[in-house]
Amino acid sequence: MDSKYVKEDMGFDSLTVTEEASRCLLCHDAPCSKACPAGTNPDKFIRSVRFRNFKGAAETIRMNNALGAVCARVCPTEKYCQKGCSRSGIDRPIDIGRIQRFVTDFEEAAKMDIFEKKPANGKSVGIVGSGPSALQAAATLTMLGYAVEVYEKEKELGGMLRLIPEYRLPNHIVDKEIERIEKFGVKFHTGVEVGHKMPLEELKAKHDAVLLAPGYSYGKMLPMFDGNDKVVKAVDFLKEVKAKAGKVSVPNNVLVVGGGDVAMDVVSTLKLLGAENVTDVVYEEFKEFRASKKELEGAQKLGVTIMDGYVPVKVEGNKVSFEHRVIKAKVEVEADLIILAVGQIPVVAGLGIDLVRGEVDEGRPYVTKDPKVWVCGDIAHSAYDKTVVGGVRTGKEVAFYIDAAIGGK
Amino acid sequence: MVKKDLSITFLGVKFPNPFCLSSSPVGNCYDMCKKAYEVGWGGVVFKTIGPKSYFIDEVSPRFDKLNKENTPFVGFKNMEQIAEHTLEENLRDLRKLKEEFPDKVLIASIMGNDEETWEDLARKVTECGADMIEMNLSCPQMTSHAMGSDVGTNPELCKKYCQAVKRGSKLPMMAKMTPNVTDMVPVAKACLEGGADGIAAINTIKSICNIDLDKKVGLPIVDGKSAISGYSGKAVKPVALRFIQQMRQTEGLENLEISGIGGIETWEDAAEFILVGSKTLQVTTAIMQYGYRVVEDMKNGLMHYMEEQGVDHLEDLVGLANKNIIPAENLNRDYIVRPDIDLDKCIKCGRCYISCYDGGHQAIEWNAEKREPSCNTDKCVGCLLCGHVCPVGAIKPGKITIKEGRKCKASDIKL
Repeated sequence: MDSKYVKEDMGFDSLTVTEEASRCLLCHDAPCSKACPAGTNPDKFIRSVRFRNFKGAAETIRMNNALGAVCARVCPTEKYCQKGCSRSGIDRPIDIGRIQRFVTDFEEAAKMDIFEKKPANGKSVGIVGSGPSALQAAATLTMLGYAVEVYEKEKELGGMLRLIPEYRLPNHIVDKEIERIEKFGVKFHTGVEVGHKMPLEELKAKHDAVLLAPGYSYGKMLPMFDGNDKVVKAVDFLKEVKAKAGKVSVPNNVLVVGGGDVAMDVVSTLKLLGAENVTDVVYEEFKEFRASKKELEGAQKLGVTIMDGYVPVKVEGNKVSFEHRVIKAKVEVEADLIILAVGQIPVVAGLGIDLVRGEVDEGRPYVTKDPKVWVCGDIAHSAYDKTVVGGVRTGKEVAFYIDAAIGGK
Repeated sequence: MVKKDLSITFLGVKFPNPFCLSSSPVGNCYDMCKKAYEVGWGGVVFKTIGPKSYFIDEVSPRFDKLNKENTPFVGFKNMEQIAEHTLEENLRDLRKLKEEFPDKVLIASIMGNDEETWEDLARKVTECGADMIEMNLSCPQMTSHAMGSDVGTNPELCKKYCQAVKRGSKLPMMAKMTPNVTDMVPVAKACLEGGADGIAAINTIKSICNIDLDKKVGLPIVDGKSAISGYSGKAVKPVALRFIQQMRQTEGLENLEISGIGGIETWEDAAEFILVGSKTLQVTTAIMQYGYRVVEDMKNGLMHYMEEQGVDHLEDLVGLANKNIIPAENLNRDYIVRPDIDLDKCIKCGRCYISCYDGGHQAIEWNAEKREPSCNTDKCVGCLLCGHVCPVGAIKPGKITIKEGRKCKASDIKL
């Protein structure tokens, strides 16, 4: 076992967080606060830190984002809040994610109880799935006065949060976030597969609204790899490593296909687990890479070989041939293990919805053909990436749409 | 490598450089002073020696500090009184220091509790070979009201004690002032009348640095309680400069010889004290935080400053700022200088806009789309707060406008 996989990098302490907050220029009309998909105001919580009000900072974060401690760790901040940071005009942007991490850790250490709800309105919502969007929707609906029950098909709550490697997002952080939401009043049911053992109709009968948040939880397979016993799907690999807290042995030569954030998690995990040669072959060229820059840089630092612009053309056992998409170049890679990180797909059988390119799009946000059934998260048509923070955004928004529709005010 | 002569003559004694330990915890024994001399300090004011009858009994802990954001020691609070060693030990240390470091300046700080003890202490330290005496009339945390700053606020008493010291010793003598008064001049004058040759200013300011919010008591906590005591460090520099300036601008005191004290930690601080009229400089808080080595950059930096100023003798810088600090009623009020905003330097943070609106005259306007400030000259009063809050120095004094009906010419104004 390699402990590097379970070791989160250094966060701020009360001294260094004050130093970082002192670097903040406390801008007027701060660009950071206009860029957060979850609607967090970093300018407000950084100002609180600057003026020694850590508890106030925690309130700003938590009231807005039920997954504040998760987003602090996994959000691609360079695309959002840190992108327009005025401090870049002097040296480098404020490390907003890390400040948020300090504040949410402080919140936990101080055992703060921040969530507040309106009086119960006597209505209930059933949520299918327990990933980021579902958790946020559950929290927001509870705030609005609803009784909320969450139905998760797996034994464990958290959805895709249970795939993100430990060194980026420790399980205990996810546990705490869910605990907080549970304590707030949300009822969780695990091992309940809606659409199979529990028909959707049953849920519709029980609740005033049903919210579907199944997520993109299944790894995609490419036909030429199908049935190959050397091939594992990225989500399955990540889930297993995380469930076993990194106590997994990996071979020395591993080939990874794919260049998104999940692929970066896979290659970095492999390196941290001790795989000597990790070769990542990516369809996109570097200039069009989908993975966050932070994660790509992390993988490169760990010594992952990344080949950009190649498409797999032939598979023979453990040998895979690639051709470059633009230039004339061929590569053959032989590996003891092949991991496919070529995207995920939703499985929505029995949920009564039609997907177009993986999304439900009925012209209006978050609705389905059934007025009682709503969607959020990856399968909702939205302007945001299919990231945790994107999920939080849809979860929050759908809660307000549901409230507008059935709140009866 | 810059090489300038930092030596200076103060009260007739030649100092190899103006930097001295002040009478405080940093010069408490032979070993400390020896190390300080070896590191390069020009002089030492040995920790105040008191009368044999006065028993020093210190509290624990005894310090506190004021922080701002990530800056500790903005100010420092100290409860320690005068030297806790026996009179014999202190006198022995003085003797040994003078023997081993004849070229460095040794100043004995003393504090009596009546005329007799002042005179006696003066005689004793003179016999040990001290080059100069400093009278501590100003320690704010003495446990006897016959000693320390309670004495230093009483001109009559100060004069009497100065006379006593002069009876005991012919050495040059400076009286160390307390800042816990509104005007230092009457006390300084009384000391000079009593025979003091110069003035040391300032001692620490009576303070409460912080209150423990849970225990509802000031810091440091001594068995559940705390007491007011002296405040020092960078935060007191402005107060010290003001007192020194006020003495030097008093008729008859224009050439007063002063040893400047109060928050000196860089060569720039040192130069400021010299420019308002200090000939020597005394340091404690910076040493307590960083050690004796701070003198290296003070000396070297001061030499570079002399080089830039084209000055060969430190003496030539003493008091140069005195004539330029005048009563507020005599300042030129005929013009307004408005900000010049350099948009190439501007990083579009909007801090100037916020401060001008909330703390100024709503003259900075904000283009939300471009994130650009501009100055509305109809509203701008030329306070230049915007320039102070700009984090990148993009706002400088710009165009000068003469107020209506005033005769002054813009080209004559020195910014």
